[in-house]
Amino acid sequence: MVPLLLRFVAGARAAGLRVSTSEVLDCLQHLERIDPLEEAQFKSVLQANFAKSRREQAHFERLYRLFFHELRQDLSIARSPELAETIQSILQSLQPAVGTDPSTQALVDFLAGDPAGLLEHASARSGGAGSPRSVASAGGSSAGRRRELADRIRMLEEQLTEVLAGRRDELGWEERRDLSAHFQDRLNAARRLLAQSIENRPVSTERLRSFRHGVDELGEVHFASLTPREVEAMREAIAQLVRRLKDRISRRQTARRRGMLDVKKTLRRAAAYEGVPLEVFHRRRPPRKAKIVTLCDVSGSVWSAARFMLNMLYSLQGCFAQVRSFIFVAGVQEVSEIFKQHAVNAAIEKILKEADIDYNAATDYGRSLREFRQHYLDILNRQTTLIVIGDGRCNYTHPEERLLAQMRERCRRLIWLNPEARQFWYSGDSEMRVFEAVCDEVRPCQNLNQLLAFITALVL
Amino acid sequence: METAPQFEDVAHVRAALEGAGYICSPGVATVVFLAQATRKPILVEGPAGVGKTELAKAVARCLNRELIRLQCYEGLDEAKALYEWEYAKQLLYTQMVKEKIGDVVAGARSIAEAVDRIAAQEDAFFSERFIQPRPLLQAISAEHPVVLLIDEVDKSDPEFEAFLLEVLSDFQVSIPELGTRRALHIPFVVLTSNDSRDMSDALKRRCLHLYIDYPDRDLELKIVRLKLPLIGDRLAFQLVDAVRRIRALDLKKKPAISETLDWAQSLVALQVEELSLEVLRETLNVICKHRSDVQLVREKIEKGFSVAPGPLTAES
Repeated sequence: MVPLLLRFVAGARAAGLRVSTSEVLDCLQHLERIDPLEEAQFKSVLQANFAKSRREQAHFERLYRLFFHELRQDLSIARSPELAETIQSILQSLQPAVGTDPSTQALVDFLAGDPAGLLEHASARSGGAGSPRSVASAGGSSAGRRRELADRIRMLEEQLTEVLAGRRDELGWEERRDLSAHFQDRLNAARRLLAQSIENRPVSTERLRSFRHGVDELGEVHFASLTPREVEAMREAIAQLVRRLKDRISRRQTARRRGMLDVKKTLRRAAAYEGVPLEVFHRRRPPRKAKIVTLCDVSGSVWSAARFMLNMLYSLQGCFAQVRSFIFVAGVQEVSEIFKQHAVNAAIEKILKEADIDYNAATDYGRSLREFRQHYLDILNRQTTLIVIGDGRCNYTHPEERLLAQMRERCRRLIWLNPEARQFWYSGDSEMRVFEAVCDEVRPCQNLNQLLAFITALVL
Repeated sequence: METAPQFEDVAHVRAALEGAGYICSPGVATVVFLAQATRKPILVEGPAGVGKTELAKAVARCLNRELIRLQCYEGLDEAKALYEWEYAKQLLYTQMVKEKIGDVVAGARSIAEAVDRIAAQEDAFFSERFIQPRPLLQAISAEHPVVLLIDEVDKSDPEFEAFLLEVLSDFQVSIPELGTRRALHIPFVVLTSNDSRDMSDALKRRCLHLYIDYPDRDLELKIVRLKLPLIGDRLAFQLVDAVRRIRALDLKKKPAISETLDWAQSLVALQVEELSLEVLRETLNVICKHRSDVQLVREKIEKGFSVAPGPLTAES
């Protein structure tokens, strides 16, 4: 039992599950007290000890199924120790052919019954582009590496057949039949393992590692280059981040809200203790909440960044006195109503489909600013933070930065978020230099980490 | 002292919990059994309303132990969780024994001596009499084994979590004025969390982890029948199926077992024999607690969402 469990733990660690030694000890202790032959019990013991959060659960399920069901050693062979020896010696004789190639070595280990190496390979593979591990293990796309590993499996298969044929004198045909069946089983299992890690590649990006890690990786991906599944994952990540941020805000606010000594209340309570002020009360200050007005360029590339910002802002609505949002391409449209009526994500989808705006028009900052000033200038006041999100590319029309300056005059501060990398800001039709002069703050906002930094600074 | 009931094996746990009105999966029973056998705390996670708190209550019921509950919230501190000195009572006693002070310090030759004499009486004011035990101290100093439920531990601050860690690993508490209190019996500890923030690894490592998910169909049916014996078979089937379908939708708050039970109860109260779309539309507020959720389900109904039993994949 102990070696089996240790092998599972080694495999689980290789695949990115965090298991501590004390947990292994606990688990062994627990296994003594239950009936390990009943699988439901056995599994729940392992699960209770090794998968200690919701997110690890799915990963654990997969590993468990893999280890105890799919990779299981063939029982008929495991029972005859003399064959096990032969297996070892055959694998030994493969050693010169293996050389120093780590992936072949992992496969040979796998044949010998130790899946840790292969699991690590497979999961490094499924880490996806951008994960330092897969880059370190060898360059190249994951598809290419997969093909390579499949080639290795085929090579190994041929070599094994050769070795077995070469030992015709020592081994009886029955033994050879058993051995080749065993190796075939293991190799097929390896192929399945490989195929499986491909199947759930995009999801496993955040499942395989600890969640934080997943966010960090996702956090550095440019908004515009997210795949639809990553957008899904991103929404989940944002929900999580927002929840954590709300926690921090409420703690911060309770601390900050403590105002001056409330003399009246303290004295009133002191009367109960013969005038000794044992309990001291403070006045509570109402938290100062900002009004937010966002002005989003929704043309093409900018929209991908804007939608996540809107998602975050509206998820944090309670932290602001008011959020009003406008979108523009060549003309302004208010979308606050849509957000009021629908849940955040539904609203964002709706805006794309239903808002009365020509998404294909050439972006015209001048006209948009003019329209905004004409209709909505009165909503800007001393409590308002105006956030403009756009790339500042005016298609060589007049940027009308003077209007932006007028708007700046009326509000508390003006922040410009640019989803382009800073080195492109001042090239071509970008009027960032002009706009930058007017703004209180200009930030690049290309990925989740930058967005999060901005939102955190905004609410705290 | 009579011996408190103990769980003998996993099957016994299941039977005992069922006797206490709590039906659980084998996984839950295994973890509960191990927690009792190895005296480790259980950290229960899962969506709201799947019976996390109820589990602790059921365990207390069938082990015949007292349940001590500590509800966590932001800003919960040691004074609220462990113990507090009763200032008011101390003050009152001081007032009443004021005259006695004269006797104590009578004949003192210097102020220093008078202070020493008063200090010698200090114990009278920092004694058991004036301490107000809060849930954690109650659980530790209980005469009989208890079940300690630390509810919604994720709502508490990280500092409190660290403090909890200390208590849970040693089961002893030191009160400066009185000395160290060691637990007479290690309590059966259940921590529940709604996953609103991640618990620290250290805390997780000390606990057995249990994730209670929405139950499968048979289990839910069994629960409904146990809690509402009056419900008709047909209605129970339809009800559970409908809830499972609604759960499959993308809702803000998915209906959990507690909602299923509430709904079942209201249907029984309304004397509904069969679940029709009309009934579903009118009683939707019982299962969906958000306006947008209600709207979503209504829309689905308009589009031909059926409540009749059938393969779950048929809708959407």
